[in-house]
Order: sequence, then C-alpha cells, then structure tokens
Amino acid sequence: MRLENVAVLGVGQVRFGVHKTKTGIELARDAGLLALADAGLDLRGVSEAFVGYVQPAAMLGVKAMKELGLTGLPVTHVENASATGLVAFREAAHAVASGRAQVALALGFDKMSEMARGGQGGRGVGRDSIDSVILPAAYFALWAMRRMHERGTKPEHFAKIAAKNWNQGALCPVSDRQANHLVTPEEVLASAKIAEPLTAMMACPADDGAACAILAAPEFVRRLRPGRPVVRVLASALQSETYTPGHTFVGPVVGPATMSRDTAAEAYRDAGLGPEDVDLAFCHDAFANEELEYYELLGFCAEGEAEKLVEEEATSLGGRIPFNTDGGLIARGHPGGPTGLAQIHELVVQLRGEAGRRQVEDARVGLAHLVGGGSVCTVTLLARD
Amino acid sequence: MPDPAPRRVPIEGGFFTIPDDPREAPRLLGSRCRACGEQFFPRRHVCARCLAAGTEDVLLGPEGTLYTFTWVHVPFFGKKEAAGAGYGVGQVDLPEGPRIQAVLSGTREELAIGIPMRLELETLRETPAGEQVVIHRFRPVTGRARPDLGVGVRA
Repeated sequence: MRLENVAVLGVGQVRFGVHKTKTGIELARDAGLLALADAGLDLRGVSEAFVGYVQPAAMLGVKAMKELGLTGLPVTHVENASATGLVAFREAAHAVASGRAQVALALGFDKMSEMARGGQGGRGVGRDSIDSVILPAAYFALWAMRRMHERGTKPEHFAKIAAKNWNQGALCPVSDRQANHLVTPEEVLASAKIAEPLTAMMACPADDGAACAILAAPEFVRRLRPGRPVVRVLASALQSETYTPGHTFVGPVVGPATMSRDTAAEAYRDAGLGPEDVDLAFCHDAFANEELEYYELLGFCAEGEAEKLVEEEATSLGGRIPFNTDGGLIARGHPGGPTGLAQIHELVVQLRGEAGRRQVEDARVGLAHLVGGGSVCTVTLLARD
Repeated sequence: MPDPAPRRVPIEGGFFTIPDDPREAPRLLGSRCRACGEQFFPRRHVCARCLAAGTEDVLLGPEGTLYTFTWVHVPFFGKKEAAGAGYGVGQVDLPEGPRIQAVLSGTREELAIGIPMRLELETLRETPAGEQVVIHRFRPVTGRARPDLGVGVRA
C-alpha cells in the first residue's frame, strides 16, 4: 500500500564503531535523545515505539525506552536480522499512516563487537548447529563466484565498490570507518583474504551503534519544524522468500536474489515511482559483491550491466545514482539492529540538503534496501516535498 | 582382533545417514511431496512448492554437480584451528532437485563450477567419550579413485 500522511519528524544516530565503555542500552538512549531533539519533542510527545536489535535477549527494547522516560507508551520489539532497523521503521510508518499513533518512534541498537567475540546462543547459532557451519562471508562469496562465472565480473569490480564506500564513509561524521587516506581498489584487493574472491576491506565491520527515527503526519512536522523540508515516507515493502527451485534451506541464507527485485518492484508500485525517479540509494552491502547485484535487482540498470555502472562510477558521489553516500555497511558500519535506521538517518540528512561535502545535488527521492538472514527483504522510499 | 572403528555421531541429528561401513557414502535425509513430487533437503512436512501437507521421507545423493564454490580463509565453525590453507564451501545441485550448501573437501585447484561431486563424512572433533562428531561434505569426483571412500574412476 502507498503510505499517506507519514513524514519524518526527527532522526538521530550515534557514530558506529566499537563502543567499549557504553552498553547497547546507553547507545540506544543517546540515539533516542538525538532524534527527540531533532524532532523538538520529549518522550511525552511520542505515542508508540518500535525497538529492534538482533542480539539474542528478551526485553531490551522496553528497557532501552525506559532510559528515555516512563510514560506508559506501547513498546513493541521488532527483529528481522540485518533488516531489523528498516522493519522497525516500517512498523512506525504504518502506525502513523493508520491513525493509531500520532507520533511513532523507531529505535535500533546493537553491540555486534561483543556478539562477534562469541557468547552467542539461541536461534540456529552455536557450535552444534548444522546452520552455523558456513559463515556469512562464504555464503556471499558463493554468490560472487557464480556472478564471475556467468558474467565475467572481476574482483576489481568488487574492489572498486568497496573503495568507493570507504571513501564516502570518510566524509560522514557518524560512520565507523574514517580512512585517513584515499582508499584505492588495489589496497582493497591486497587486504586479507576472507573467502574467494572477497577480501577483508570488501566486508562490513562487526561494530556497535544505535539510530532512531521519529515519524508523524506532514502537517505535524510543519508545525513543529517550520521552514524545514518535509521528508515523506512513500512506501515500505517487506517480503520473505518465495520458493524457487535451487532454494537452499540450510546454512546462511539471504536469497534468492529475486527477493530484492520483487520487494523493490512492490515499493515502486506502492509509491507510484520507478528507479528513474530515485536520486540516491542505500543497500545491504555487507559484502561489496552484493551492492553490484543490487544495482540490477533494484532496477538501476539492466541485467548484466552492473559492471558497466561500476566502471563508469555512476554509483559514486557525483554519479548518476549515488549508492551508500555514508559509506554503507562497509564503512558506516553494520551493528545489526540500527543499520536500517542509519540508512534512514543519512537519507533524511541528504533529502533535507544537510549532508555537506557528500551532499547529492537536489536530492528529492531516496531508496533504502536491506536483506535479513532467514530470509527477508525490505525496501523503503522517501521523498522530499 | 583389530580395534573396533570409533562410533560416529552427527553434528546435529536428522540431516544425513552415517553408514556402518565407513567406505560407503552417506545419504542426505530428504522429503518428497506426495502431491507434486518436488524434493527437499532437509526434511519438511509441508511442500514448499504446492503447499500439500504430508511428504514422504527419501534419501538424497550421494552425487551432484557443483553450482558455485568459494575458498574460505577464516576459521571453520566448530573447529579451533584457523583451517591452515583454507577450505572449500559450495552449493551442489543434486539430480533429484535440491541444491545443497555444504563444506567441500579437496584442494582449491580441484574445484571448478560444473564438476561432479560426491558426499562423504568429515570428522570435526572427538567427544570425551571417544565418539567422532561428523558432518556431511562434498568431495570433487576426480580421475583418482579414493579406495577408502569407494569413489569410482570417472571420465
């Protein structure tokens, strides 16, 4: 469905990175306070909250919200693996669109640096699970190797995408990786090998962070923040997998690739837009080869032409359709729960025209895409009035 | 009388057979839809294609074709060591239909998209009781026979 009467009232993000001295809940509090300040509210003005994280623990969302105040508002936990943040945002948007909430808040946080060190438990993870034998890096590398076999893609294409994201991340103050030099594709290729053809610099970090977005009707936003460009939520599609032959049920699964194409098509249809209307995009670039695939699956070029897009630098800042202007998962970071809300944060900053050196000129329509293990895909479209 | 072979136990039950004869290839525990015939790994009750409930159990494999692969340089889950020279991971298409994601044995040089593969069991570790914890994996079927696995010579 097309979302009517939903706009972004405020956004906030703490810088992604390894936060040794703060708990996930403290990071969530800080992101929440930033978004409330941006919105011009305190928690008394918020009707409903949706909180997402991927660490295997119950109740943390309610506890995080209590750090912002105890006002009795309804709080719902949302978890959809890497897609969690965008799905929490989707729930908040629908709560406003339906009239159930006047002001809805979506909050995501995680400390992936601690999860990555071990001590995991719960669903389908752990030493004695057949599902955990194959690492996510290997799964995405399988996709990259097949692409190279079918299309003649070179590791240099993936390296060029990674270098672009590293360099764009260095321009964004809330991004994790801030290289002190221009990162070259050669440097990316020479970094440690993870899973052929992927290298360490083609992969996202396991970091910590929190991000938050607050939604309300456009009139409400104009009243609270007069003079500020109004950024509307046009559509937010969510799909799980459709069965296709060749589906793999065991191990890390983020597919089939058609899931991204179908979810994007649904979002475009709902919004009454096409990829030609989009000025900048964000995608699940946990590994650089994914971004190349999503150029095609999100409709920004024909099948088999993504390599050409890379060669022409069409997806870099200044190009036809800049991707991941804050560095994406590779450089902004990918803690899990907050990742999608960081995409929303950067999209809103861009659509308001507040992105400084990385501003996409006259950005009006933006797209955010994430996939989540299991698997799901979600695509959100935002537009400035 | 020689020592009896150590008992082999699966990393997780319900996914593959462990033949009594270690020379015999394992099979995968799958399902076939009684309504449309689609086959699945692992076992499931409701057909993912036509949604009919009530599949029948089938054994899948042991042979297939390598659809894609990678060579992994980071540690293997369930193992302490960082895998030395690395190890293969791949997706293998079975003639029965399912695509199986699994660890591969063999060297990097042996692997190529489209080559025939055959199931075997790999020992991950030993339990304190002396049992071998095993997992299924695929090995390239090369011209060289491996008599201990009963893999025949192929053209």
